[in-house]
Amino acid sequence: MPPAPLARLSRVPWRRLLSCLLALSLAACGGGASPPTAASGLGDRLVFAAAADATTLDPHNTTDTESDQVIMMVYEPLLAFDDAMKIVPRLAERYAVDPDGVTWTFHLRPGVSFHDGVALDAEAVKANFTRVLDPIANHKRLSLFSMIDRVEVVDPLTVRVVTKYPFGAFEPTIAHVSAAIVSPAMARAHGKAFGSSADAVSGTGPYRVASWKKDQEIVLERFDGYWGAKGATRQIVYRPIPEAAARVLALESGDVDVISRIPAADIPRLERRDDIRVAKLPGVGAQQFRFNLAKAPFQDRRVRQAISYAINRPAIVKNLVASFARPSTSALTSIMRGYTNLGEIPYDPAKARALLAEAGYPKGFRTKIATTPRYPMGVELAEAVAADLKAVGIEATIEVFDWATMVQFWAGLPPEKNPQEIFIMGAGASTADADWGLRPIFRSARTNENNYGYYANAEFDRVIEAAMRETDAARRQALYTRAQQIVYLEDPAAVWLFDTLYSVASRRAVTDIRPQALGVVTFERATVRRF
Amino acid sequence: MALAYRLARAAVARLAPVLVALSLIVFSIVHMIPGDPAVIAAGLEASPATVERIRRDLGLDQPLAWQYARFVTRALAGDFGVSVRTGAPVGREILDRLPHTVVLAAGGVLLAVVVGFVAGVASALSSHVLVDRLLTAVSLVAASTPSYWLALMLMLVFSVGLGWLPAIGVGSPRHYVLPCLALGLQSAGAVARMTRASVRDVLTQDFLRAARAKGVGPRRVLVVHGLRNALLPVLNLVGLRVGGLLAGTVLVESVFAVPGVGRMMADAVVARDFPMVQGGVLVVAAMVVVVNGCTDVVAAALDPRVRA
Repeated sequence: MPPAPLARLSRVPWRRLLSCLLALSLAACGGGASPPTAASGLGDRLVFAAAADATTLDPHNTTDTESDQVIMMVYEPLLAFDDAMKIVPRLAERYAVDPDGVTWTFHLRPGVSFHDGVALDAEAVKANFTRVLDPIANHKRLSLFSMIDRVEVVDPLTVRVVTKYPFGAFEPTIAHVSAAIVSPAMARAHGKAFGSSADAVSGTGPYRVASWKKDQEIVLERFDGYWGAKGATRQIVYRPIPEAAARVLALESGDVDVISRIPAADIPRLERRDDIRVAKLPGVGAQQFRFNLAKAPFQDRRVRQAISYAINRPAIVKNLVASFARPSTSALTSIMRGYTNLGEIPYDPAKARALLAEAGYPKGFRTKIATTPRYPMGVELAEAVAADLKAVGIEATIEVFDWATMVQFWAGLPPEKNPQEIFIMGAGASTADADWGLRPIFRSARTNENNYGYYANAEFDRVIEAAMRETDAARRQALYTRAQQIVYLEDPAAVWLFDTLYSVASRRAVTDIRPQALGVVTFERATVRRF
Repeated sequence: MALAYRLARAAVARLAPVLVALSLIVFSIVHMIPGDPAVIAAGLEASPATVERIRRDLGLDQPLAWQYARFVTRALAGDFGVSVRTGAPVGREILDRLPHTVVLAAGGVLLAVVVGFVAGVASALSSHVLVDRLLTAVSLVAASTPSYWLALMLMLVFSVGLGWLPAIGVGSPRHYVLPCLALGLQSAGAVARMTRASVRDVLTQDFLRAARAKGVGPRRVLVVHGLRNALLPVLNLVGLRVGGLLAGTVLVESVFAVPGVGRMMADAVVARDFPMVQGGVLVVAAMVVVVNGCTDVVAAALDPRVRA
């Protein structure tokens, strides 16, 4: 209680003072009202909220989809995937392979020029492959192209690529985002800094990079010298919003026109809204729990089969991930080259118990499941798997790690150094082909290289090596069918859970965006209506 | 002049030892947490040979003591190294982002001080119990609301619901309103509570009664004698909260997609981008030390007792 003589103090006009101060502080932070948007018609600017800024715009150095999808607008490879994931010529007008299976001849499209004005020719293509294969420069995508022996210039518009051995997945490798052709002059001028800022970028794509403010926005501008159909919208703006919930709110408020990486819980709500469209398509992504075969009792294939039969996949998919997943039907996803439909693994706890008993574990055993929230519903999925395992007597404790720690466990460790037993893993071969989707991941090796579970099966190794060198489509398919039967059914390397649908949400006013199975979205033909 | 000199001396005297200790702590922590930056930079499809080459390029294969020595000698020359993830110079990356963080933090402090102080004084002086209770309740709620949640709620109401303000990004002063609110409101609540207690305390002091008895008008007593003294503990509180406020930018910048230093550090920690984490933490820590030095000097100017 203030003492009596001071009571009159309260007659100070506090209310007026308060409102003045509030108005002042708002004015200091604020500013005028926003200018009215342009009159109705087609807008000249589309804003896409990415989950993160691009790391690099150097195709030979990219390993993340946020960079890939910008690179795909700015650069082009000799070949490309169409919407049905078929391989079509892009910078090459046509191409052919010699009967020897190692000599590929590409006839380049005439009249193509880079954003810096230099014309595309065979020398430029050769310089690109020399660049990505240069061991000193050490670009991150070097290993993807390690099958290339040499590149020869035949004439200004014809280039010949010779591989070290017949390579069955050569076309998807040449259609890969990292096989995109950069302006050799620009790459030489900027060296290591190529692709790190707006003025150190030059491709042949329908859009060029106008500006790049790190973590703020990348502005692409229609390239008027483009050889093909010109971009429909003048500017495409990439605005990174790392926080998933904020990304959704920004779409709902109209701050952005398109978003990807939508939180699973928000998909149904966005689908119900009239002013928003959600596109979902099967992609290369799949979710699984991998076994560490260096640990007992996972060497025994019956134990792995038992665990696979013990999992109630329909219930997991329906209850946890229905909005973005379909149960797996093989070790590859349905849109990948080489995929064979082997059906869903049935839920059969009785068979699981029988297999465990046969393997000498009639009462089950104790194990642990490592997971990371980086994967959508990663922790919930581990809990569901643990609950199903408990029903057949296997007691699994769950360990949750952040992404960096998880990757540390996986990268190139010898078996005795990897403490994980069952661990979550997302698959997503960036060539959409069986070779890259199976070979680096399951072929046996002394360390785990990319074979993070130390999977080893002699027949699988033989089949996968033969398939890699097989260029006849029918024989190649037969070999990959066999490989999938081994790794998915007979000697399972993982609990294959579900194939992930790639989802992109856009405002109704947006048309013709191109979400792709590779988990990227591009905007070559996209338009925005403004009201 | 004397004040400026004191400010500068206080800042330098505190900055040097804190930065030395901090650089050692930050360096140790980033190398203690599990996770290998080379592995993350290479991506999951990379071959072990690629990872090994990246590790060598970055000097991560060298002994830790050598790495620290290299970090310190270069940092003294103003070179914080290059980002593991992008290869960009850390110093330039921080300078590009610093203005956004400074604006955000300044806006947050301004909001905390103005709103918090006014609400606190109003609450202390209000003759209506109800007004006092209401303001106290509101400031308690504000002080206990996590900025992350508040940020999303502000966005939901003012961007999605009412459409008054942009939800994300930067570009115009309007873009900073919601982030500043999300950042400053919690501190405003704390300042209001401190102010209320402080004003109530001062109002019962004998020197105010004496001033009043001398015939000084009620407003002059309040503003010159009362509030000036009530301001001291509030000023100390604000100095302390600046650290928390800058820490809050990590969350608020991420939610509102503000390209500032806080968000840069958050991304860098996830990617184990050691040079970016080290550079970011050192710069933010330096800001905290400087601001605290300043508040101490200002407090001394206001209160003769602190000066000695």
